[in-house]
Amino acid sequence: MLVIKNLQASIQDEKQKTKSILRGINLTVKPGEVHAIMGPNGSGKSTLANVLAGREDYQIDGGTVELEDKNLLTLSPEERAAAGLFLAFQYPVEIPGVNNMYFLKAAVNSIRKQRNLSQLDAIDFLKIIKEKIKEVGMDEKFLSRAVNEGFSGGEKKRNEILQMLMLEPRLAILDETDSGLDIDALQMVAKGVNSLRDPNRSIIVVTHYQRLLDYIVPDFVHVMVKGQIIKSGDKELALELEAKGYGWLESSI
Amino acid sequence: MIDASTKDVAVLNPSPFAALRLDNPFVPEKDWLQDIQVNQLKAFLHRGFPTQKEELWKYTDVTGLAKQSYIWPKRNLESFQQKIKLEKAISIVFVNGYFSPEFSNLTALPENVICTTISDAIIQHEDRIKPYLINKMDLNRHPFAVLNGALMTDGVFILIPKNVFISVPIHFYYYNTQQTEFLTAPRNIILAEAHSEVTFIEEYTSDNEAKYFTNAVTEIHAEENARVNHYKLQAENPSATHIANIFIKQKQNSVVKSFNLSIGGRLAREDVHVLQQETGAECYLQGFYHLTRDQQHIDNHVHVDHCAMHGVSSMLYKGIMRKKSHAVFNGKVFVHKNAQHIQAHQANHNLLLSFDAEVDTKPELEIYADDVKCTHGATVGQLDSEALFYLRARGIDKDQAMALLTHAFADEVMNQIKDEEIKNYVKQRASHVEE
Repeated sequence: MLVIKNLQASIQDEKQKTKSILRGINLTVKPGEVHAIMGPNGSGKSTLANVLAGREDYQIDGGTVELEDKNLLTLSPEERAAAGLFLAFQYPVEIPGVNNMYFLKAAVNSIRKQRNLSQLDAIDFLKIIKEKIKEVGMDEKFLSRAVNEGFSGGEKKRNEILQMLMLEPRLAILDETDSGLDIDALQMVAKGVNSLRDPNRSIIVVTHYQRLLDYIVPDFVHVMVKGQIIKSGDKELALELEAKGYGWLESSI
Repeated sequence: MIDASTKDVAVLNPSPFAALRLDNPFVPEKDWLQDIQVNQLKAFLHRGFPTQKEELWKYTDVTGLAKQSYIWPKRNLESFQQKIKLEKAISIVFVNGYFSPEFSNLTALPENVICTTISDAIIQHEDRIKPYLINKMDLNRHPFAVLNGALMTDGVFILIPKNVFISVPIHFYYYNTQQTEFLTAPRNIILAEAHSEVTFIEEYTSDNEAKYFTNAVTEIHAEENARVNHYKLQAENPSATHIANIFIKQKQNSVVKSFNLSIGGRLAREDVHVLQQETGAECYLQGFYHLTRDQQHIDNHVHVDHCAMHGVSSMLYKGIMRKKSHAVFNGKVFVHKNAQHIQAHQANHNLLLSFDAEVDTKPELEIYADDVKCTHGATVGQLDSEALFYLRARGIDKDQAMALLTHAFADEVMNQIKDEEIKNYVKQRASHVEE
């Protein structure tokens, strides 16, 4: 599904100084697998998620990324989405004046178009979205509002999951989707994610805390520190991190 | 009379307008009118075209207009097709400045309302219209309004009597077809008597490529408790010059809404001047400008004078600039001494979509009363790159994502239009921009 080899990326700070953030990431995710990427603040977890989604603020300095044999790094963000990649944003953007329903329909139909599928008409679309919105426990009134505008933190995250359910990605990357969520919202998000689990779909969960992994149980856990994956294991590793923190790993590099 | 005016013109030569006034084919001959025209032309030429040394013209160069010479348009009887139309409207159509009864439709006009051309009103309602035509405009501040007085072509005169409510909008459609250069100076006068209500749309457009010059003046007089909804749509051709002065005078508790769409022309200057003379008047002024061509220049000057207590004014102008275009916005709220308890808000937001586009924006407040609530703000920005990435990450391609965001930007002001049919019409009009 996803093969990342020696990926290196940097960003220019305000003083135009280049700061290296990803320093040789290697990761292979097979169909059906759920991977968790954990690590302290500033370790590069979110950068990895954003680089995969195609954010242009980062400079790719080396390495390769293949998504189902496609060279991901040459694709535009919209082409990556059409290829099946979905990023649930850590901070979903508020877009005043763009209606949420209109946005969702435009997104679904853009991806369908790029995949040479027929466009969904208003009636079909409405049927599907009414079903999915129940799954994420969102009030229908959020559909008629502007995208994320004035949504609470929890509603924004539910809206991300709703988009994910509508777009049915091949690879979903959840970037700290658990941050700022109460336990009810967390369970709802996890339920949404778990409903997507299937042998042909892969999920990467980027998180700070082990808590989310109680609900979305990963097959693999990776620890990222200073732009590198320094340790990988199964779900037990997450529990160990919860107990011991990251310090013991950081001092080992 | 003819002799006298010929002499006057000879004295004033050389003037780009010298030949024009002698044979004005638009308005009927009246001695008082000719006197005014002679005097106003004299006054204008004495003052001269404004230059960029004047604060009000700092960013807009109109000196090129002084170097052209002008002729009247010819009457054109060819038929034409309005691309988009309002379903229900009283329509008054002018082709190349001439009233065109065959394209106009006044059947929905209530009997007690006077709605006719300026030239007809000078004959039929001379006493009613004369005070407005002899009224002197501020030469320093509104030189082109004075020029309009000198060279007035035709336009619309509306008088809505006391307590009358017109539910159907009145659409003035100024349409140009002539391929050679010419000048028109439309004048519209709208008198809304006490407790009356009217909605009207003045629209300027063309299908030609001529470098014509439209110099329009619209006067709105809202008496006590009158409600006037005004829409001005400027969609002239890419070579044209459009200069307009809109004067709004408000009496007690009147409410005037004025929406200004400006997308056309090579050079456009739109002045809106509101004078709240009595207490409790409210005005809502909105504008949207969209510049899409190299060298396109659109300047909006919006001025509100609060002369009485408890007045409300709200100004929201938004603009999008592409290519090497240049927009100017100047919004001014002037609160006179003793005009207490005023609420005034003004906002101007600009979206620059190209590296070469430029905007000069200046919101101003001048307050001489001490118990008022005034706010103002202006922004100049680009499309939100975070929002753009978010949309693209959901599969929406870059062009569509940009279009979504620019529409969202415009919609904030478009959605202030409460009448659905007019809103759709204005939106359609706004989307017909020439690139």
